[in-house]
Amino acid sequence: MQAGTGKGDVMKTILSALLFAALAGLGVGPVIADAELRLQRAPIDPRNTSSLQAGTRTFVDYCQGCHSASHMRYNRLADLGFSEEQIKDELIFTADRKIGQMMDTGMTKADAKAWFGTAAPDLSVIARSRGADWLYAFLRSFYRDPLSSTGWNNLAFERVAMPHALWPLQGEPVLEVREFKTKEEAEAARIQAKSFSVVVEREGESGGKETTRYVLQSINIEKPGAINQAKYDETVRDLVNFLVWLSEPNQVFRKEAGIIVVLFFAMLTLLMWFLYKEFWKDVH
Amino acid sequence: MAASEKPPIAATGPFAGILGWIERRYPLLATWNAHLAGYYAPKNLNFWYYFGSLLMFTLVLQIATGIWLTMDYKADAERAFASVEFIMREVPAGWWMRYMHSTGASAIFICLYLHLFRGMLYGSYREPRELLWVGGVVLFLTMMAESFMGYLMPWGQMSYWGAQVIVNLFDALPIIGPDLALWIRGDYVTSDATLNRFFSFHVIAVPLVLLGLVATHLVALHHVGSSNPDGIEIKKVKDPKTGIPLDGIPFHPYYTVKDLFGVSAFLTVFFAIVFFAPEMGGYFLEDNNFIPADPLKTPLHFAPVWYFTPYYSILRAITEKFMWAAAIGTIGMALLIIGSVKSKALRGAIAAIAIALVAGYFTLDAKVWGVAVFGLSPGIFALLPWLDRSPAKSIRYRGPIYKAALALFVIAVFLLGYLGTQTVTEVRTLLAQIGTVVYFGFFFLMPWYTRMDRCKPEPERVTS
Amino acid sequence: MSDKQGVSRRRRNLVIGASCAGGAAAAGMATPFAAFMLPSQRAKAMGASVEVDVSNLSPGEKATIEWRGRPVWILHRTKEMLAAIKADDSKVADPKSERKPGDVTPAYAKNEYRSIKPEFLVVVGSCTHLGCSPQDKFQAGKESFAPEWHGGFYCPCHGALFDLAGRVYKNTPAPDNLKVPPHTYLSDTRILIGEDKKDA
Repeated sequence: MQAGTGKGDVMKTILSALLFAALAGLGVGPVIADAELRLQRAPIDPRNTSSLQAGTRTFVDYCQGCHSASHMRYNRLADLGFSEEQIKDELIFTADRKIGQMMDTGMTKADAKAWFGTAAPDLSVIARSRGADWLYAFLRSFYRDPLSSTGWNNLAFERVAMPHALWPLQGEPVLEVREFKTKEEAEAARIQAKSFSVVVEREGESGGKETTRYVLQSINIEKPGAINQAKYDETVRDLVNFLVWLSEPNQVFRKEAGIIVVLFFAMLTLLMWFLYKEFWKDVH
Repeated sequence: MAASEKPPIAATGPFAGILGWIERRYPLLATWNAHLAGYYAPKNLNFWYYFGSLLMFTLVLQIATGIWLTMDYKADAERAFASVEFIMREVPAGWWMRYMHSTGASAIFICLYLHLFRGMLYGSYREPRELLWVGGVVLFLTMMAESFMGYLMPWGQMSYWGAQVIVNLFDALPIIGPDLALWIRGDYVTSDATLNRFFSFHVIAVPLVLLGLVATHLVALHHVGSSNPDGIEIKKVKDPKTGIPLDGIPFHPYYTVKDLFGVSAFLTVFFAIVFFAPEMGGYFLEDNNFIPADPLKTPLHFAPVWYFTPYYSILRAITEKFMWAAAIGTIGMALLIIGSVKSKALRGAIAAIAIALVAGYFTLDAKVWGVAVFGLSPGIFALLPWLDRSPAKSIRYRGPIYKAALALFVIAVFLLGYLGTQTVTEVRTLLAQIGTVVYFGFFFLMPWYTRMDRCKPEPERVTS
Repeated sequence: MSDKQGVSRRRRNLVIGASCAGGAAAAGMATPFAAFMLPSQRAKAMGASVEVDVSNLSPGEKATIEWRGRPVWILHRTKEMLAAIKADDSKVADPKSERKPGDVTPAYAKNEYRSIKPEFLVVVGSCTHLGCSPQDKFQAGKESFAPEWHGGFYCPCHGALFDLAGRVYKNTPAPDNLKVPPHTYLSDTRILIGEDKKDA
């Protein structure tokens, strides 16, 4: 299409644009999280309705005491396969069981501030601000910390004001700390560790010299809870799955509709291409 | 093109009767001929020429989706965030409308930057298109204002703190700053008052200005005719009988049909994003903006939306240390200019300005200069028609110096853009400062390197 | 443009094909804009059916319930009131509720008392003239607007009259009988306003 000169710079520009776009796609996105954890991909399946239903129950049982999901209407839970009776009888705990109401919480902001120092955030779009992977890590990295005000701390969120709401299920996790001299040793130990673990770099001084230690922090269950570790991970997975659904209930439909729309416009583009070429036969 | 001087266009075809009736009362056919069927555009327009019509299309899309969103959006600090979630969840097709509007904002800037770049590739800003170009830069700045105010609407953490930071820039201006910032905000901090007035500007005031500017831009374009990739003026070689440029083809049907293809291809990509990746990894819809605005808690890291990142990067690069580089640059430029002009008065004036500037660099806060440079960085494009001294317009006939300069400029813009999304470190600040020097060097040194460049002779007729 | 005498068949077919596809694209893009203006989930939830318990409603008493933003009256009619309705057959414009079937009067209310159970009148308390709320005039006797009044409703805005079955009088500004909203009995004393009986 173009004459020879000028192509080089144009190609360079296009390539850098593609690189920028590729970086965006790969997730080397803008820095927003305040944790330095390398996050594992949350093993959720947004189409698995039984997982979503299990997650709904966990949310309603363990989270809604403090957290609202005030942008979600109860009757929308029917999308997950619940019947109206199930929603009214098993998922709504207010005195007035109206299925058209929003999923608010009983705890007032004033009470939350007095008991925890801060209001528990609304969770309607938490999966969009924090991300599923972070939530999956967060809910599995609580540990007992006698020095904190709630008695709990969290590897993903230092000095979090939230207590470990799921401890009846998980049991009593404690923090186990092991130090290594090299990053490779620490990473190897992390992969071998049976429980949730994280490697952290710590600068320090040893014998008058500055050293970097590699610390493996692991969560270990001291006293078992109602369910074992594998089942607990599944429970958290289902809860995170629900939270992802909660943050955008239309996402499955959006992607399905998208296939049809994009294919249609691709076809339209092809047709318009032929039309354009046909008319331009006249131009020499 | 006064209708009173020319006889009315004769209507032909099956609708001749009614068209004739209209034509005697309203220049419908005359307008059609002047701007579509009888408006001649160069026949060699390529990929880079799609973006003008795409910008118009996307602007209409933003206005339509914006009007629809306004039906359910509540411009009240207590209700704004919830109203957006209401639209996303409870209004039929609300999520689609929202994603089209958010994707459309980024699409406008992608098209805008590509449209601008076309101008730099083919010298579209050169005589006689200076006013067309300057009008375009004004459109660019107006679009930045529009999208900045639009971003406050969801009232998330990014919305709030982005507005807070940018309005505080005005605060940095000497003497008038704090009062000006107070006047813009309508309050002592960004608040409901700010949201309400930004809503009013975003929904009606600035769109009206944009539409007026687009109309002016089109009038300017049609008066001089479009540029083309060879940079030559097609009006110079006309058919002696008809007066039609030999390398021109009527806009309708050739470019209407080509632009239809362009719009279809654009919509394919656009809808792929809307339906499959509306957040675009946090670049189009930022993660932090899904947290409701909290005046008491600044997010640990935040970045402006991607299309502002290069300028944000430049703003952050202007530190106290940078003022030394600025001083050296200013003195160097002053010497260059003085060496190029003959008039003693002008030389004196340049020297005085340079001395005043350098004094200012070390007396006024670096913060003030940061704001000044930040404001200059998008606006400086307007000077291109007068900075470019190359005999050739199109990059196809320019020499290696300009090509290298443009390549460096593009790399600097991408680098600055990327750095604008990241947190501040010493290395990154240094890189941003280098990028800033390259960015402004591209413009300020242009009169000299374009004159030095060895250009190829431009052809008489278009080549492809 | 083209120098050909006519337009080639390929060109014509492409124009037609592209126009059709483009029209489909335009219609497809317009549909969500139209759908956006339909009632939201919030409007539907607020317009949801309302359950009323009438066990405490004494004969002669009227309860007012809000449904979809309008007043719905439930009048517990006495035996005298039911007899008065028969007497008004000649005075009302549409005694058998034949106007606008299904709209003003659903099939299950198309009877002499315009209700499912004779003792409870369920109507929307909105005058069918221009929407004012008529006043209760349940006592039979001589009234300024009617010398032989058997009881009913009087609209103060323009003088429309309705009997104790909500039927509009002849020669008054209102065109229709008072609208009977969709409703069903969940039990002898619980009425669900907003929904017809779900067929088993």
